[in-house]
Amino acid sequence: MAALAGRVVLREAWLPLCRGLCRAARPRSLRQLREADEAAPVFQYAGKAARRKDRVFVWGFCHSGALGIPSFVRPDAGWKKPRRVQSTPYRLETEEKICSAACGYGFTLLSSTTTDITKVWGMGLNKDSQLGFQRSMGDRNKGYEYVLEPSPVALPLAKPQQTRVLQVSCGRAHSLILTDSEGVFSMGNNSYGQCGRKVIEDETYSESHVIHELKEFDSRVVQVVCGQDHSLFRTKKGAVYACGWGADGQTGLGHYNITSVPTKLQGDIAGVNIIQVASYGDCCLAVSDEGDLFGWGNSEYLQLASVTETTQVNVPRHLPFKIGKIKEAACGGTGNMALTEEGNVFVWGYGILGKGPNLMETAVPEMIPPSLFGWSDFNPDIRVARIRCGLSQFAALTSK
Amino acid sequence: VTGPRFRRLRMGAGHRLDAKASGVMVLGIGHGNKLLTDLHNCHLSKVYTVGGLFGKATDDFSDTGKLVEKTTFDHITREKLERILAVIQGTNHKALLMHSNIDMKTQEAYEMAVKGLIRPMGKSPPIITAIRCLQFVLPEFQLEIHCLHETQQYLRKIVHEIGLELKSSAVCTQVRRIRDGVFTLDDALLRTHWNLQSIQNAIWDCQLKVKREIEKTLG
Repeated sequence: MAALAGRVVLREAWLPLCRGLCRAARPRSLRQLREADEAAPVFQYAGKAARRKDRVFVWGFCHSGALGIPSFVRPDAGWKKPRRVQSTPYRLETEEKICSAACGYGFTLLSSTTTDITKVWGMGLNKDSQLGFQRSMGDRNKGYEYVLEPSPVALPLAKPQQTRVLQVSCGRAHSLILTDSEGVFSMGNNSYGQCGRKVIEDETYSESHVIHELKEFDSRVVQVVCGQDHSLFRTKKGAVYACGWGADGQTGLGHYNITSVPTKLQGDIAGVNIIQVASYGDCCLAVSDEGDLFGWGNSEYLQLASVTETTQVNVPRHLPFKIGKIKEAACGGTGNMALTEEGNVFVWGYGILGKGPNLMETAVPEMIPPSLFGWSDFNPDIRVARIRCGLSQFAALTSK
Repeated sequence: VTGPRFRRLRMGAGHRLDAKASGVMVLGIGHGNKLLTDLHNCHLSKVYTVGGLFGKATDDFSDTGKLVEKTTFDHITREKLERILAVIQGTNHKALLMHSNIDMKTQEAYEMAVKGLIRPMGKSPPIITAIRCLQFVLPEFQLEIHCLHETQQYLRKIVHEIGLELKSSAVCTQVRRIRDGVFTLDDALLRTHWNLQSIQNAIWDCQLKVKREIEKTLG
């Protein structure tokens, strides 16, 4: 009893000293926790209308400036070193949303469907004016030979604030720009007539202001494709026109000479409605609306060996592959790829084809197992949606 | 059940489940302990259903922890969530190929990749082999995760990081293992079935499966 009384006295003696300063931490009840939760402030990091900005990523060989990031070639900080290769995708900042991009041999073109005056940007090698005339800041009469940053390409448009650029394409030393109402513009090297204008002897292509407008087509051009030294145009009616170097038959016009004016292709394509054309090196493929595949051009790597033994085919030939209805085709430097309606990918040609190290060349298309693209019992509805080819690499975009 | 035959039983546990998670847990009895080590060396993947809640962030990433922050989440759509899941799966796929120590240039590596059999056969950090969204009703969502060498706390951390990537925050409400190698929910015994007869039946049913899997993987 005495002990109890003593304790009570002690507590009352303590209380006035620590009035309001410190209280023992009792475990809070569930209701108190819930009230504290609700009373906490709510932070907002992204509003309901937040949209993801469209991004452009670049990777590859840096020395030509084609990646568009000047610090890869000329470091602007002391710790940066000029790098030769950018092996992982690196974000490139652009002012507008880029809708179409094309890689050439050491240069790149980006374009957007805006109605502003600047619609196309170019970077990289400009020794043949494949990026147009880039006026030098130092000397107003000279142009740049290497462009390290995306720089506007000035196009001679009749209505610069209404025309939209739909697509760009780049070859070895020339480029093509497709607009919606003013046809196709070509610039760059024309020594084989690939720009669609008459070849002028001893023309200097560097620092040239010439941008040629191509108009000799039966209907509106909807796709432009640049091969290494030739150009292909696909019109709305389903016809294909070609110009440029033809020594491998890649113009498909029945001869092996150069063509300086876009001419319509005949052969197995005549009368067929073509929905897609592809080319990269010296071989060309075309897909018709019924899912048939036509090919012409170089066949040294067995790309067209299923129909002919010759290594150069100068007339479009139908390729009778029994792989299903073809949706899209892509040509690489030595190998070709086709995508069918079911989402299967077939490869043929020479080089690293994607079927293991043992398969180096094949004339007949081989299917790549869908499990390599992420298909499994767990994920059965993944499909390949688009395919593209580089010089010795293949790329596929899946639907998820 | 007692009796002279049932004393001195040695039991071992397979991959552990922590206190807040639930689901399939494999136990070995007597001679089964040796099979347990073999199963562990097979490195088969485990499947979890993980439930999450947007809008809160806590210190231990689950909904019973101390609140750190509350955020809005009405800008999150299923498409954005699936985009983040695809990124997670992609980086984990790269880690999978790196830790499985296979020379990618050989024909055997190609054939294994076609069948989907590439996985790390030794020690490795937690790797997610597949992840997908089962349900998405704001603010709750449910994911199915196939993973290797993970802990439940790692899965809760993944949920927290998904919340951060989506410019909001998330806590994990539920972690449930639905498959551990060859054992699925159908083979598991409920609390009411913890008696001798059911245990014997379960062991008998699983024997064949376990033997086949060990033979297939360890050769």
